[in-house]
Amino acid sequence: MFAGLFSASVASATEAFPVQAGTVEFRQVSKCYGNHPVLKQIDLQVRAGEVLAVCGPSGSGKSTLIRLINQLETVSGGEIYVDGKPTSTLKGKALRDLRRHVGFVFQQFNLYAHLNALDNITLALTKVHGQLPHEAQKTALALLERVGLRDKAYHLPSQLSGGQQQRVAIARTLAAKPHIILFDEPTSALDPETIGEVLQVMRSLAHSGMTLIVVTHEMQFAREIADRVIFIDGGEILEQAAPEQFFTAPQHPRAQRFLQKVLNPLHAESREP
Amino acid sequence: MHIHLDWAGVLTGQPAQWILSGFLTTVWVTVAGIVLATVLTVLLLALRLAGGAVGRGVVAVWVSLFRNTPLLVQLLFWYFAAWNLLPLGFRQYVNDDHAFSILPGDVWWFTPEFLSSAWALGLFTAAFLVEEIQAGLHAVAKGQIEAAKSQGFSELALFRWVLLPQGLRNAWQPVVGQYLNLMKLSSLATGIGFAELTYQTRQIESYNAHALEAFAVGSVLYLLLGLVMSLLFNAPVWWRAARQERTLARKEVQDDR
Repeated sequence: MFAGLFSASVASATEAFPVQAGTVEFRQVSKCYGNHPVLKQIDLQVRAGEVLAVCGPSGSGKSTLIRLINQLETVSGGEIYVDGKPTSTLKGKALRDLRRHVGFVFQQFNLYAHLNALDNITLALTKVHGQLPHEAQKTALALLERVGLRDKAYHLPSQLSGGQQQRVAIARTLAAKPHIILFDEPTSALDPETIGEVLQVMRSLAHSGMTLIVVTHEMQFAREIADRVIFIDGGEILEQAAPEQFFTAPQHPRAQRFLQKVLNPLHAESREP
Repeated sequence: MHIHLDWAGVLTGQPAQWILSGFLTTVWVTVAGIVLATVLTVLLLALRLAGGAVGRGVVAVWVSLFRNTPLLVQLLFWYFAAWNLLPLGFRQYVNDDHAFSILPGDVWWFTPEFLSSAWALGLFTAAFLVEEIQAGLHAVAKGQIEAAKSQGFSELALFRWVLLPQGLRNAWQPVVGQYLNLMKLSSLATGIGFAELTYQTRQIESYNAHALEAFAVGSVLYLLLGLVMSLLFNAPVWWRAARQERTLARKEVQDDR
C-alpha cells in the first residue's frame, strides 16, 4: 500500500518492464555452475514491502539467490516473477528497465572510483534515467543529506571510510526510486564500528514501501527489522519463519547449529556430528 | 688526445639552418604520427569491442604484425614498396609543389617521405596503444561493471561513462610512454631519406666533420622535446588533481557558512 508513494514518477507508459508493486516469486528455480548445483528448485514468495532476511553459511547459495533476481546471474531452470511477470527471457531494454527498478547494494560498495559521492549518484540519473543535471544534483544532495553525508558530497570514494562508501552506495540505489532493493552482505566488508551507521540507514528504509531482500550475517538486523527470515544451506531453503520463532525455536537441525555458531561462537560445537 | 669543440660549426650558418629545419620536421612528424596513432587506436578498439569475431581477428593480426616486426623494416616497406603500388596520378600529385603542404617552420608534409614516416609511425604505435588501453580497461574493478549493469546502464553507456574514463586514466602513463617512443623512433625515418633531425645532424657531419658537436646538439634537442612532451601530457593529470583539491576546499568553506 505504501508502494503508491514511489510509483508515480517511474511508471511511465514507454517502459518495457514497469515495476509498480515489488513482489518477487521464485518457482522451481535452479542454478548450476557447470555440474555443480548452487541452488536446487527454490520456491519463494516475497510480498511487496516485505523485509526478508536471508541467512546461511558461506557458500550456501544465498548471494546467488538475490543476484538471479536482477540477472547478474542467469537462472539454469525455473522462473523468477517480478510483479507477477516472468523475467528469465528479458533482454535489452526490458532487462535494463527491470534493473532500474531493482536496486542492488554490494558487499564491496562498488562505487565508481573516478567520481565523487555526488556524481556517483547523479551518473545513472542523467545517463540512464534521462534527468537534467540540476534535477539529478538536487536529488543526490537530498539523498546524501538523508544518509548523513551531505558534507562528503565532493569527496572521492577513496577519501571515504567503508561505512561512508556503503551509505553513498545506498543513496545511489535510492536515487532510482526502486521498488525492490537487494542487499548482498552490505556490512560484511566493514569495520565493526561503522556497521551501525549502515544498519541504521537500512532500518530507515524498512517498511517504507520498498521490498528489501537482505543477505546478511547481522543477526540483530534480521531479528529486529526483518518480517521473515529464510535459512539456506546447500542450495535449499531449509527454514522460513518469523524472526522471533527462527531465533528462539529453529526447527531444522542445520539451522540450529548455524545459529549456535553465529550467536554463541565460543561455545559452539567445534565439529560437525 | 686533445678534443677541440667548435660549436660555431654547428650553431651558425648552413648547419644551424639544417638543425632547425630537422628539429621542426621531427616535431611535425611526431604530431602527425600521434594524431594518426590515436585515431587508429580508437578505430581498432571499436573493432575489437564491437566487431565480433572478425573484428577481434583483424585487430589481433594488426597487433602481432606491427609489434613483432622492426619499425625500420616497416618504414622501408611503406616507402619503397607500398608507395609504388599507389596510383601513378596520386604519386605525381604528391610530388608536385602545393602551397597547402607548407607547415609553419617551412616543413613540407605532403611529400612521400613525410607521409610514409607518419603512416609507419602511426600504425606501429597504434598496435602498442591498443594493448595499453585494453590493459587499462581491464584494470577497472569488475564490481563497478556489475554496479553499472545493476543500475540499468546499456553496454555503450557503461563503456563511455564508467570504463573509458578510468581505463584511460589507468593507461595514461604507458600511453605517454608510447607517444615519447614515437618521437624518438621518428629518427629511424632517416633510413628512407626523411630530412628530420637525425638526418640533418649526419649531414653536418659529412659537411664539416663536426660529428661530436652535431650529435650533441641533436641529442639535446631530442631531450628537450621529450621533456616538453612529458610536461604537456602530464599537465591534465596535475590539473585534475588540483581541481579536486580546490573543489573540496571551496565546498567545505561554503558548507561552513
